[in-house]
Amino acid sequence: MSDATMATPPSVVEAGALEHGDLLAHDAVPAALISMRDIWKTYQMGSEELHALRGVSFDVQRGEYMAIIGPSGSGKSTLMNLIGCLDTPSQGRYWINGKLVSAMDDDELARIRNKEIGFVFQTFNLLARATALHNVELPLIYAGISSADRHERARQSLASVELTDRMTHRPNELSGGQRQRVAIARALVNHPSLLLADEPTGALDSHTSVEIMNLFEKLHSDGNTIIVVTHEPDIAARAHRVISIRDGQIERDERIK
Amino acid sequence: MKFIETLKLALAAIWAHKLRSALTLLGMIIGVMSVVVVVSLIEGFNRYVDEKIAGIGAKSFTIQRFNIFEDFKDTDTIAAATRRNKDLTLDDFEYLRARAVLVDKLGAGGRPTASQIKHGAELLEDVAVDGVTANVADIKNIDIADGRFFTETENETAARVAFLGADVANKLFPAKSPLGDEIYIAGLPYRVVGVAAVKGSVLGIPQDNFVTIPLRTYASNFGGLVRNRSLYFIATSKSDELFDDAVEESRQLMRTRRRIPARAKDNFGIITPDAITGLRDRIFGSIFIVAIVVPGIALVVGGIVIMNIMLVSVTERTKEIGIRKALGARRGDILKQFLVEAVTLSAIGGATGVFLAWIIGRVLTAVFFPTYLSLVAVFVAVSVSGGIGVLAGIFPAWKASKLDPIEALRAD
Repeated sequence: MSDATMATPPSVVEAGALEHGDLLAHDAVPAALISMRDIWKTYQMGSEELHALRGVSFDVQRGEYMAIIGPSGSGKSTLMNLIGCLDTPSQGRYWINGKLVSAMDDDELARIRNKEIGFVFQTFNLLARATALHNVELPLIYAGISSADRHERARQSLASVELTDRMTHRPNELSGGQRQRVAIARALVNHPSLLLADEPTGALDSHTSVEIMNLFEKLHSDGNTIIVVTHEPDIAARAHRVISIRDGQIERDERIK
Repeated sequence: MKFIETLKLALAAIWAHKLRSALTLLGMIIGVMSVVVVVSLIEGFNRYVDEKIAGIGAKSFTIQRFNIFEDFKDTDTIAAATRRNKDLTLDDFEYLRARAVLVDKLGAGGRPTASQIKHGAELLEDVAVDGVTANVADIKNIDIADGRFFTETENETAARVAFLGADVANKLFPAKSPLGDEIYIAGLPYRVVGVAAVKGSVLGIPQDNFVTIPLRTYASNFGGLVRNRSLYFIATSKSDELFDDAVEESRQLMRTRRRIPARAKDNFGIITPDAITGLRDRIFGSIFIVAIVVPGIALVVGGIVIMNIMLVSVTERTKEIGIRKALGARRGDILKQFLVEAVTLSAIGGATGVFLAWIIGRVLTAVFFPTYLSLVAVFVAVSVSGGIGVLAGIFPAWKASKLDPIEALRAD
């Protein structure tokens, strides 16, 4: 997978990209890695309808490094959950890697999360009772990969984040930065199409934050597609494209590098 | 997700919460163990009655002065039976032996007398001495450890030979084989021809403290075969199918011989295995049901405990479920994980319970009463515990699998 993305240079997203997407026939499968078309998410709060997202559309090409920023309550978390296939939109269409996710049921979504998406969370979300190695193996277990292969791939993944010497440690025996690197190794182990990070430095000190962001940059230069959701402007500034969300809509979509 | 992975996961989760798992298992173990122990005791008792008292294995019936089931109901029936019934005689025996065509083997014996046994300086008091015909060894399937039972010729000639119970042999001859040696029974010398195999004790009563001598020797040296030495016959049928007919034939022959009018009661008793097991079932049946139901309740409570623990476990591990779902676990994976965990837990409980019950059974057999580890009981107890485990696991597992990953990830 990384070879393929390496071969495809990141396409330039012009200001008119959205219009270009709109021109696609409705049933045509978009070429972009991620394609959102007029996404709405509506929550029923008693008798009132709360629109967390109001008609969001954008494309993300393979190999992009994008940040989504916005104040709390802007709908950015809702958008992240939708991109991460943890939830489905109330309305609109969402394709990832050519698959129409917005029409999928729970089990199909689980499969997409397993194969296409690597999550990195603010609070790491590692299994406390499991070793680093076992934590990294988890996605492979659900992918049905044999135990010998799993060990080997998890080991490689941990080596890629320089944690070979911490494989048998449990999360409480690791520093915050090390935990987040285990989480990143776990996110990468199944070679996902997209690395989706939610406030990845939110629980780290500034020095460690820089370390993790450098790692993200390296992963991007290796050909991974990365989306970081954050409210910190300097974290967003490391990305090459920033989408600002406000009141459930895209306020700005700009390339900064 | 492969089953073996799910099983590994379950074992890891059980191991990770050792104390909780142990407490959960305790309920299951106690339930299974008590059910299996109680059933083993009952089964042991039933088999004991079948084999040793009713003689089911040998399929034999006994003819004697009283029908213990009919005649001993109350003082009136006892008094009536005592007036009506007469002791059997050796002439009755010859009469039956000559005419009962459906009877295969017909043996006879006199009820035992407590006697003094002596060998050299060794003296034993209150040993049960009885007399039987030689074929009783076959009819009752008497196990011989050493030597032989006496022969019919020895019986006919009233030879002074003795067949010893294991305890008697060990006490009188601690160092050597008693075969060929002489012992004194009630003052008269007898030659030892054989020793019985050890039978152990039942309800604390030793079964090996006896001496058996030929019936005719017994009759001539201990006095007439009446009252407490009352003569009885023991018979087998030519085949199992003919058993009931053989019993009826013997009854009619006895009535004919004693010239009992058509409508009068028998003035003798016939004890069949069915009558004995029937009596046992009447007396103990309801006790047994209660005895099984009470630990059965413990078993069910054990299942409820597992269900409770699994529910707590789901709540406690909401975050874990969220993480697993985010990483690609499907509903079925989560369902399986929790279900297999519950089933594994109860299977471990069941197996441990059966193992402990087996040990307890062995100990009880050694010191108290023969028990029999019934495979049916093991199967039922383990499948009930496993079944309760499944039932107890389904709801929590279903609850866990339905969790919304976003909500679950937000949990602490």
